[in-house]
Amino acid sequence: MLRTDSRLVRSLGATLTALPAYQSALADAPPAFTEVGLRYSHYSEDSLPEERVIFGSPSRYDIDVTQLWIEAPVGGAWSIALDVQNDAMSGASPWFVGLGLDGEPGVIMSGASIEDNRVEVGVTTRYFWADGNAGLAISHSEEDDYEALSFAFDVAWNSADNSRTWTASASSSNDNVSPVKERIPVFIDEESLNTQSMYFGVSQILSQTKIVRIGLSYTQSEGYLTDPYKFADRRPDTHDKWTLSAGYRQFMVNMDAALQADYRYYHDDWGTDSHTIEIGWHQNLGKHVLAPYLRYYTQGEADFFSPIADRSQPFYADDYRLSSYGALTAGVRWTVQFGDWGIEAQAERYRSNNDWSLFDGDAAPALVDFWRATVGLSWRFD
Amino acid sequence: MKTVVLNIALFMLPLWLHGCTAIEPVSAWERGYLADPAMQWDRGKREAKFAGHVYTSKEASSGGAGAAGGGCGCN
Repeated sequence: MLRTDSRLVRSLGATLTALPAYQSALADAPPAFTEVGLRYSHYSEDSLPEERVIFGSPSRYDIDVTQLWIEAPVGGAWSIALDVQNDAMSGASPWFVGLGLDGEPGVIMSGASIEDNRVEVGVTTRYFWADGNAGLAISHSEEDDYEALSFAFDVAWNSADNSRTWTASASSSNDNVSPVKERIPVFIDEESLNTQSMYFGVSQILSQTKIVRIGLSYTQSEGYLTDPYKFADRRPDTHDKWTLSAGYRQFMVNMDAALQADYRYYHDDWGTDSHTIEIGWHQNLGKHVLAPYLRYYTQGEADFFSPIADRSQPFYADDYRLSSYGALTAGVRWTVQFGDWGIEAQAERYRSNNDWSLFDGDAAPALVDFWRATVGLSWRFD
Repeated sequence: MKTVVLNIALFMLPLWLHGCTAIEPVSAWERGYLADPAMQWDRGKREAKFAGHVYTSKEASSGGAGAAGGGCGCN
């Protein structure tokens, strides 16, 4: 058995003669092994500062996420993967923003703790041929008040010398929302949302240690896009989004490590623009890998956002997620491979602030800070 | 803060410009470093999916990472 992360294989170039420019999960051969894996993650939002809360508990969301998967080769040219994910959510979220006694905007929380459970089941099958591969994925997600069925198709093909790879994908999602009415007043019984998305990208090998990629995506949603659990929220029933993304990887031979840099520009027809920059460092340490990363995100506010919603307008929202802010994320990931067993652990801290934005706009009082942590185990067998 | 971000952007710009203008032929047997897991575009399929869901739920932006998934979980 050859391991592509060993120095021996690197120096020999064994098994790599047909390495395409997109590599990783999209190699032009089915996986050599069956893999079974389990990941557990905990996501926890910081409580809101007391001075920003007018009514309700400042506590926010906690989510326990369990991911289970099996991925196996089928015959000589196919693979199939089954993914199951369970999200157990509890906590409260901002209901609306009003004016506090101090004359500043403050948050009225949703009150009693919300309990919800989301289960997502996805199946992906992939066909491999000499110059590329194509995958088809079907996914179903269900929680108390939300159901989604999505389909996705992707294809990747290589240039004659395997130094350039084009990728294209398309997906469609049909969602249905039927809000639970026990906690706070909601004004709909059932609504639907349809989303279509397309992506086109190209990656190019630049040298023995450098690779770059660029991609364009377009997503269109039509249907109910308002948040039914927010008192002052009314959004258009269409949403068009575009992204331009780029990535760069450079292997540092002397350090047995790699620099990872990614950028995304986002624009939508609700008036929001954003920039995302992520810098990572992947340090090989024998069987271990240590990978710290930093992410900076900044967005401008939507046309119809204001800290306290203006309900006289055709569209309005006080949702902090539509406000102008910047967010910094710092994380570190550790993995180790012992024979057929793989272990992973990761922790990440996310903080957001209106002052960190590159865009002008009023501050929303309910901006979120959170941390998340993950442990995982996987096992490969023939 | 804005100065820091602009400096990072200015630092990365030459890397990408350099990458777009300098392409060296790489033979099939010279791709060992490119095959290292360190050179992958994501940190693993399941981590990429989870992280994407978290950011999409808490930020106004989405997309740019291939086909979209389903579900909400976005309170």
